[in-house]
Amino acid sequence: MKIEEFDVVVVGAGLSGLRAGLELSTQWNTAVLSKVYPVRSHSGAAQGGINAALGNLEVGKDDTPKRHAFDTVKGSDYLADQDVVMFMCEEAPKIVVEFESMGAPFSRLDSGLIAQRPFGGAGFPRTCYAGDRTGHALLHTLNEQSIRKGVTFFNEYFLIDLIKVKDQVVGLISLDIAKGELVIFRAPYIVLATGGFGRIYKQSTNALINTGDGNGAAFRAGIPMQDVEFVQFHPTTLYGSNILITEGARGEGGYLFNNKHERFMKKTAPEAIELAPRDIVARAEETEVQEGRGIQDAYVHLDLTHLGAKKIKERLPGIREISMFFAGIDPIEEPIPVQPGQHYSMGGIATKYSGEFGETDLIGLYCLGECSCLSVHGANRLGGNSLLETSVFGRAIGRNLLKKGLPKKVPQKEIEIVENNTIHAVEKLFKEWNNNSGSKPVEIREVMGDIMNKNVGVFRNQKDLEIAYEKLKNLQEKFKNVHVITEDRKFNYGLVRTLELRNMLDLAECTCFAAIWRRESRGAHYRLDFPDRNDNKYLHHTLVYRNKDVLDLKTKPVKLGIFEIKERTY
Amino acid sequence: MVKNQKFLIYRNPGNGNVNYERYEVPLKKGMSVLEALFYIQDHYDSTLAFRYACRGAICGSCGMTVDKVPSLACRVQVSKIKTLKKPSNLPEIKFGDLPSWDQKVEILIEPMPNMKVIKDLIVDMEPFWKFYHEIEPYLENEWSDNTPESQQSPSEMKKIERLVYCILCGLCWACPVNRINSNYLGPAQLAKADRFINDSRISAAQQKSILTRVYKEDAVPACQKYFVCNRVCPKNVMPGTAIKDIRDNWMNEKD
Repeated sequence: MKIEEFDVVVVGAGLSGLRAGLELSTQWNTAVLSKVYPVRSHSGAAQGGINAALGNLEVGKDDTPKRHAFDTVKGSDYLADQDVVMFMCEEAPKIVVEFESMGAPFSRLDSGLIAQRPFGGAGFPRTCYAGDRTGHALLHTLNEQSIRKGVTFFNEYFLIDLIKVKDQVVGLISLDIAKGELVIFRAPYIVLATGGFGRIYKQSTNALINTGDGNGAAFRAGIPMQDVEFVQFHPTTLYGSNILITEGARGEGGYLFNNKHERFMKKTAPEAIELAPRDIVARAEETEVQEGRGIQDAYVHLDLTHLGAKKIKERLPGIREISMFFAGIDPIEEPIPVQPGQHYSMGGIATKYSGEFGETDLIGLYCLGECSCLSVHGANRLGGNSLLETSVFGRAIGRNLLKKGLPKKVPQKEIEIVENNTIHAVEKLFKEWNNNSGSKPVEIREVMGDIMNKNVGVFRNQKDLEIAYEKLKNLQEKFKNVHVITEDRKFNYGLVRTLELRNMLDLAECTCFAAIWRRESRGAHYRLDFPDRNDNKYLHHTLVYRNKDVLDLKTKPVKLGIFEIKERTY
Repeated sequence: MVKNQKFLIYRNPGNGNVNYERYEVPLKKGMSVLEALFYIQDHYDSTLAFRYACRGAICGSCGMTVDKVPSLACRVQVSKIKTLKKPSNLPEIKFGDLPSWDQKVEILIEPMPNMKVIKDLIVDMEPFWKFYHEIEPYLENEWSDNTPESQQSPSEMKKIERLVYCILCGLCWACPVNRINSNYLGPAQLAKADRFINDSRISAAQQKSILTRVYKEDAVPACQKYFVCNRVCPKNVMPGTAIKDIRDNWMNEKD
């Protein structure tokens, strides 16, 4: 058995993992583990931009971090932890300027400063962008700096499970995908930055690799999932393939039309119209379709034609390319067919109520980015805040750990015992999967995606959620007898995808369980049977645990005190 | 009634035993080649190996050869392949003995050319990354988070914009030079060098360092101006044009 030893192992090489890895590598023996090459990570698919109150445009001159924080808290339907939001928004201008100093190719204003555009739910044009490929630009920049600084990567390594001694993490077990060997990473600090888990839904903008591997490993190690009932459905995903069409398309002036050629958002959000936050626009679209005003009873139109060829080519070239290749439509000539699709997981690995940023209940285990719940997005994330979260907290958690220093080592003997147990458990699991005679993974995965889409989607109700929960429990049973070849392990993606399914089933179950518990509507969680927000009963974070074979739910207070709680209108 | 699409797929367990296998996949509206490969992996053979991530032509993982054209599998629609206009003047791409292939009916899937096959459609990208690192693809400015940011005019940004869009997929290694010269840095790598030397924010010292590397005989001078890279690039980066820029506008600055 191969064993690698490091001071800290960062899992995931998107923006979160890369930024944390860059910071930690300055002083510690650091490994960054990723199931894909860093530039393949899903951060690269982010399009619209990154928020910071730079005030580079004349109309944005009065913008401040506090106003950014207010918009974020309001957008979150008051479920975000306000102190963490304040920190993120104060760091925002610094982190964007830092990206620029690293060489990020931002679009520019005539003044030579970083260009900014309006985004949903924001009082000012605050979203800094690089065309409509901002994530790609930033991901490549951090990868470039990681090459420059000589960060140690283990690419195409899959995190299977965490290893702990009592309540302290001591390492992890991984699959070297290329060689097909199990490899143990021994480290007193593990930072999970594995991204979202949108693939629990059939229709998602997420990359195929967004399967919640860090979440699954943490959950099996006893860490609860926080606020996972809050799932963002992006209002403009390409009809059919659900590839993201950036909110920037509306930020640049795009309109949404129903089959009567009405700008239906005027009814729902008279002031913000198309630039209302995502949860509100997604529900309005779903309502149009359900009430017979959808096109082909399935989608609405995102119309950019009035923006003209020049603006589309300059500001939205990626959107044009996606529309042409994946839908056969040139947005200069024709409107784009769009529908809501799962986009972002606001919830994730639970963090301590009064701990450091990203600290979990397992000593030495930290998390950040979409896999985590820090919680800066609450019940609904604003566009442009996810890229921001990754880099702000990647840097902050890195700095914080370095300042804190390495913990006291767990005796080698104890580590070796748990490592051996873990190896045996994984080998046993692989052997079972190989010898089982049950379903193929695809039969379980597709049913899971359908259930989540139909019953745990934009609109929810008690009955549908309960049906979904029962079905998901059945799928968990079925999964125990799943069959996949595990003998030939070299580049065995059938095996990798079964490991991913193992994680997704847990997350789907948790999401559904928390959605059943929350009998109110808040942000992205909309209950037809409880259409109002209920602060008296539900202004709490949820924590879902596994208690033997059943799930259990606890609550955690929301950190308030900076902004007063109000009704949320746009 | 569901129509089936026939596929002829290169298989290689990694021991050199090349074997082309035939599969039939029920066609779905809007199905990409990548989706068809997943169908095969899910239903017929879970060990069929290929790389993937975003399925939206932005991550650069799923480069392979589809009907003899280097392509991103996620961006090619199954129903349109046979009527698709192919890039002109592509070099012949061969992977040993191809069995009889009904070109009108079967979609032929092979790995990316000019890279060592590790398993099935997965190639060894290590030389690609090694050469990428060699051109020092980064700015060496000291990081700073003090506002305001350093300035760059829109026209200065425009100079590098096209080059920034490179997704490092490796398809441009279909270049005939890559086939015969395993030391050739490669089109994507040189395009990246062009991106950095043209960045208004680069220091003179680093610019010189990158230029010194790309002047070597296995770099810019090795390019034979086939422009295959320009024709196969899925992101319109035009690496060949970038190499031309270095040759025309920077080589004479060599001291």
